[in-house]
Amino acid sequence: MSAGALLTGCGTDGTGDTGASGASGAGTDSPSPSREQESAAKVLWMGDSIAGVEGPALEAALTASGVEFMNASSDGGGTVVEGDEMSSRLAESTWEDLEENIASFRPDVIAYQITTYDWGTPEQQRSSYEKLAGTARDAGAELVLVSAPPFRIDDFYRPYESAIESAPEVAGEVAEAGGGRVHFLDSAQLWGTESDAERAQRAPDGIHSCQQGSAAFAAWLSEELGERYDFAPAAPEEWADGSWTGDERFAQLGCS
Amino acid sequence: MPFSRSPSRAPSPSRPAPAAGRAAARGHLAPLDGLRGCAVAAVLLFHAGHVEGGFLGVDLFFVLSGFLITGLLLREAAGRGRIDLAAFWARRARRLLPALAVMGVGTLLLAWAFGPPALLRLALDDAPWVAVQGTNWHFIAEQAGYWDASDTRLFAHLWSIAVEWQFYLVWPLVVLAAARGRGGEWRVASLAAAGALLSLALMVGLADPVDTTRVYEGTDTRAFSLLLGALAATAPIRDLCARVPRPAADVVVALLGCGLVASWVLTGGQSTPGLFRGGMFAHSLAAAVLIALLAGVPDGRTGRLVGSAVPRRLGELSYSLYLWHWPVYLLLPEVVFGIGGWGRTAVAIGLSLGAAVAAKRWVEDPVRFRARWATGRRGLLTLAAAAAVAAGVWAAIPQPHPGAGTVDVDRLMAP
Repeated sequence: MSAGALLTGCGTDGTGDTGASGASGAGTDSPSPSREQESAAKVLWMGDSIAGVEGPALEAALTASGVEFMNASSDGGGTVVEGDEMSSRLAESTWEDLEENIASFRPDVIAYQITTYDWGTPEQQRSSYEKLAGTARDAGAELVLVSAPPFRIDDFYRPYESAIESAPEVAGEVAEAGGGRVHFLDSAQLWGTESDAERAQRAPDGIHSCQQGSAAFAAWLSEELGERYDFAPAAPEEWADGSWTGDERFAQLGCS
Repeated sequence: MPFSRSPSRAPSPSRPAPAAGRAAARGHLAPLDGLRGCAVAAVLLFHAGHVEGGFLGVDLFFVLSGFLITGLLLREAAGRGRIDLAAFWARRARRLLPALAVMGVGTLLLAWAFGPPALLRLALDDAPWVAVQGTNWHFIAEQAGYWDASDTRLFAHLWSIAVEWQFYLVWPLVVLAAARGRGGEWRVASLAAAGALLSLALMVGLADPVDTTRVYEGTDTRAFSLLLGALAATAPIRDLCARVPRPAADVVVALLGCGLVASWVLTGGQSTPGLFRGGMFAHSLAAAVLIALLAGVPDGRTGRLVGSAVPRRLGELSYSLYLWHWPVYLLLPEVVFGIGGWGRTAVAIGLSLGAAVAAKRWVEDPVRFRARWATGRRGLLTLAAAAAVAAGVWAAIPQPHPGAGTVDVDRLMAP
């Protein structure tokens, strides 16, 4: 079954923080009625707080494109990697949440942005990403692994630098072996590889993005998902300067 | 029913008290004011980015508060045979709330006039929590990370005031119940010690390496500092300290003081190994021992140094200085008159000191020492007017719309 066929004609029984239900954020950036009536896909968005601040823009962009969206990113943690003691602790709650979110939202696509906490050996990372791919497959969904943007490696992250570097490589390998149901998107196409470069569009903390960066990511990922899942991404003027830009998370990051 | 004093160890008005008890009974000790001054200096330098472990100054504040409050409660219980809880809470309210309210209203107005919309919006969101002294739990629930997001919240520093207030609500009830009858101060001491250990266990158990805000700002996990201070104020510890020869006590006080300052300089941020697994508890314990001994030898060399004019005066201003410094730090431009770094810090501290002096002179002291407008019917009218002004300012400031115009759509569509 092709991805496009898989993703069309899905129901609208998503619950929680879903774009199509109008639960939050993008309410004033609503798509056209015809798009609301039949969602092109249902995307479950996972990741850490970096994904969290990309979420409002992504919700606005995908909802405007007729895609149902659920932001399941974490405010701190969000990793699926069962690696060292700390990442395993974080992963435990991520896996619990994922099970609940799959049951309630029934996604067609699970999009996981590699987190800053995917700490573990390459083998542990591989095992965890494969487990995620298997979970997605069992749920009837495809898995999209997205590399993390470049972020400032401070004293907190320095001990885990090798794990942070290996995670996207391992994710790419898991996608290659995924039989067409697992995809890897390298966000370096958008951000580049230097966290302090202007292109990376990091917030004052050097880790997250402000509104412009989140909008850029949402536009990029919408294009990528649209190509794979047969929907036309809405033009940025339809959603990019909507009410989502006032999300409190941006204020907490010191964005304007 | 009147309380009986501790059988043999509590200082009795009819016979000479041990040195520590005698000193503590005076209630107001210059070296303790000086310690408060040192603590606020550490916090000011920490928030300015100059002393990484200066956040431990708040810990010293907590220990001092626990010590002083418990001392007051125990003396009232011993002297009057009862504790007038309503009067205690009223005194704490008079001491803490007026300056807090003035700072809160002033900060909202300054943020409205000069601050960016995002800063104002969060300040308006947080203000009701300031009013109910619940900012710490509000920040924990909002996952507003203390170490990462404090510079986006003008009231971020008020978590500690909330912790103290919550302690003031609960601890007098415990003292009231436990100090009753024979061995009362021993029971209070036992409860303080047990509570401190339980609090430590909670901190260790709840410590989350990703974000330590829960344990850093939780009332339960920070209670050990206040309770160790409380323990230091009880008769068993006072008597123990009184047995330490004065010269030895003076030396230990000096060593502990140097140790605390060294810990402020050498401790890094939240990722300091062991900080939330006993490190902060050790700091509190050292501070409690220091305070207990210092209260017994306030006129020793260390006591005279710590109680000298500058730290003492700083300590007397510490509450309003603490209240005002953070809004000043955040609202002041990054570069002031062409200077940043230490120069900006000096300007910020100068402005904060000015605000603190004004607040103490025109708000704290008149209310505390019962100026005519702050007592009786006039006092109630003043209170009602102040509450109305505070609520009115909060409601009248237009909700800002942060984020508007932050996305350049053309830039998104550029190839």
